[in-house]
Amino acid sequence: MTSAIQAEAARPRSAKKEKKPSSGKLQRNLEILVLAAPAIIVFVGFVILPLILGFYYGFYRWKGFGMPSETGEFAGIDNYITAFKDPTFQAAIGHTFIVVVGSLVIQAPIAILFALLLNQKFKGRGLVRTLIFVPYVISEVIVGTGWSLLLQKTGAVNELLSYIGIDGPDWLADPKIAMITLLVIISWKYIGFAVILMLAGMQSIPEELYEAAKVDGAGFWQMQWSITLPLLAPTLRIWVFLSMIGSLQLFDLVNIIWGSYISETAGVSTMATYMVRNGRDSGNYGYGSAVAIIIFIISLVVALVYQKFVLNRDLEGALTEEKQAKKRAAKRAKEAQRLAASEVK
Amino acid sequence: MKFKRILAAGVSAAAVLGMAACGGGGSSADDNTIVFWHNATSGDGRQYWEDFAAEFESEHEGVTVQIEAIQNEDFEGKLTTAMQDLSSGPDVFMALGGQKDRDMIAAGQMMDLTDKITDENKEKLGSSLDSATYDGKIYGMPTTVQPGGIWYSKDLFAQAGITEAPTTWEELIDACQKLKDAGIDPIAVGAKDAWPAAHWYYWLSLRICSPDVYEESMANKDFSAECWTAAGEKLQELNDAGYFNEGYLTTTAQQGASSSAGLLANHKAAMELMGTWEPGVLKDLTPDKQPMADLGFFAFPSVEGGEGEEGALMGAATGFGVNPEAPDIAIEFINKMAEKEWQDKYATAFSTIPATTESQADVTDESLAMLITALNESDGMKLWMDTSLGANIGNALNTGVVNLLSGTGTPEDIVKAMNDAAAKG
Repeated sequence: MTSAIQAEAARPRSAKKEKKPSSGKLQRNLEILVLAAPAIIVFVGFVILPLILGFYYGFYRWKGFGMPSETGEFAGIDNYITAFKDPTFQAAIGHTFIVVVGSLVIQAPIAILFALLLNQKFKGRGLVRTLIFVPYVISEVIVGTGWSLLLQKTGAVNELLSYIGIDGPDWLADPKIAMITLLVIISWKYIGFAVILMLAGMQSIPEELYEAAKVDGAGFWQMQWSITLPLLAPTLRIWVFLSMIGSLQLFDLVNIIWGSYISETAGVSTMATYMVRNGRDSGNYGYGSAVAIIIFIISLVVALVYQKFVLNRDLEGALTEEKQAKKRAAKRAKEAQRLAASEVK
Repeated sequence: MKFKRILAAGVSAAAVLGMAACGGGGSSADDNTIVFWHNATSGDGRQYWEDFAAEFESEHEGVTVQIEAIQNEDFEGKLTTAMQDLSSGPDVFMALGGQKDRDMIAAGQMMDLTDKITDENKEKLGSSLDSATYDGKIYGMPTTVQPGGIWYSKDLFAQAGITEAPTTWEELIDACQKLKDAGIDPIAVGAKDAWPAAHWYYWLSLRICSPDVYEESMANKDFSAECWTAAGEKLQELNDAGYFNEGYLTTTAQQGASSSAGLLANHKAAMELMGTWEPGVLKDLTPDKQPMADLGFFAFPSVEGGEGEEGALMGAATGFGVNPEAPDIAIEFINKMAEKEWQDKYATAFSTIPATTESQADVTDESLAMLITALNESDGMKLWMDTSLGANIGNALNTGVVNLLSGTGTPEDIVKAMNDAAAKG
């Protein structure tokens, strides 16, 4: 509907443009330049340029003093080989992917159920909605400090458990438990974001569908299963993407709760904590840059694969090429034809 | 209409330029401003430098000292970045010695102060200058030496029936057992930060390795000698006996009551191995924010069969380096640091041992006086192993020790971790 209005509004303007084509075009280009320039400059300066520099630094053994070509030692791809051979880096990659999969598996069902609940009308709904969203708003540093104090061996949680006669484990340092602890904290922290997204998705589902289903005699769960879930799919897909990207970059919570040393022994180190610990904290700026590039490539591959195979139907026309979209449209038309033909039969 | 567009373009261009202009704040080009970086972000230490700078400004008309107090953990990273371009770096900055200084000197980022520090100051500083001397040249103005040792609660020791401070490893183990039997956590260690745990390993190495082997290993960064593994085994004994505080792996060193310093300050643990800064840290963590009344000190015990030099000391040395592009007035600034009045004040403000011998004589604190005597008797002080080895191998060493304590590594793994780290930097 909005696009229709926009199209309507655009018409008189384009008519005006036809009157003075040359100066209008110039003006438009200037407008684009002025409006896009800040974004482009920031993007190039803080994304593209660091990336190129990272590639360059990654080929040197370099301590961060002066230029690598002067004070460093050219190492070719040695940094990359060392990284891939380092068992602690392999472990860190493993932990990161456990977090990626773990947060999806834990958060998706809980978020959908919460959203379903909060989509119903009941007293105090606004309050519950706010409360669920609160952890997401609190800064990671505060969340991390709070949980690390609560979960220490002699912390509040174990103190409470001791009142009912349970000798609590070392939630943070025990390698068997630490990853579960991390997943619980992450879920608690980020569930609010997922719930809000799902809730927004649910509210855009037309009420008529439910009414029609009711008339047909569908029960509550049947309606959710056959109407809500399928129509929520685009929201779910976008949330999965955002969650995966967030998990791949996970650094702050782990670094604050475990620190850069214990995270390795407890089995919760991530790719990012490994990079900081072995790059910046160790003064190995060359090696750290190589690790950064590896992380970049891993994240890029995950993102591209997901976009290509899962997200493309949501992004059609926006990001995918026109050619592909046309191809898909043609395929769909063909299928419709076949379907029509089979119906005739 | 057109005017508005131009205005809009102007505003966005200004915004972009504005962004580019951030991130300055380093050295200024003019000769009358000194940009000074230190790490005392709070309390008496911060006040000390403000007073110091104020007096310097009043003595030198037209000179301004621009102080930036930077959080300790951020200091190295920020300094490395700022010194990429000497003109954006600070003029005078804190320098802790070791490999980091050697790297900065190699990159031409520290001024040779051999002829700049006055002869009078050189004489007063004596052996304190060793920590800032590389290849016979002086690159820093030392302000304090901070050897370590074991700080303990006299009350808790009495409660466990320990009458004399331990002098040998056996006596230490004995004391630990007595404390444990009395229901007291014997040793607090902040293993989350790694270095406090690693200090146990440093000291054991210093006691067990002969001075020659120690020097040689540190210089060649080769730790294959047997004594390095032996030190790890001794530490493992201590750990296996369960003498460290409960949950030491997630205990920090200095932050709050649940940190290792907090445990000692609140009588939840009896001992902590730490540098001379300990009394000052404890003071902020006791329930009434007063100095810990029953605090005692004893030197790291000797180890039977160890080949280390008797009473050898290890610790930190804080000093200040100068940017090669700093104005001449910066030289006067660092020379002033060695004045008796300011060294005395430094010792009080930071509860530590001053760098000049004349001010060392004025120290009245019992534990610190003990350390000064030990310092004068020993053949100079070794720098902490991680400082000396540099962040790369030092960090690997610290991690190796934590792995040992958590049961995921062996004494051999510590040595292996240090060798592996060499490949990364």
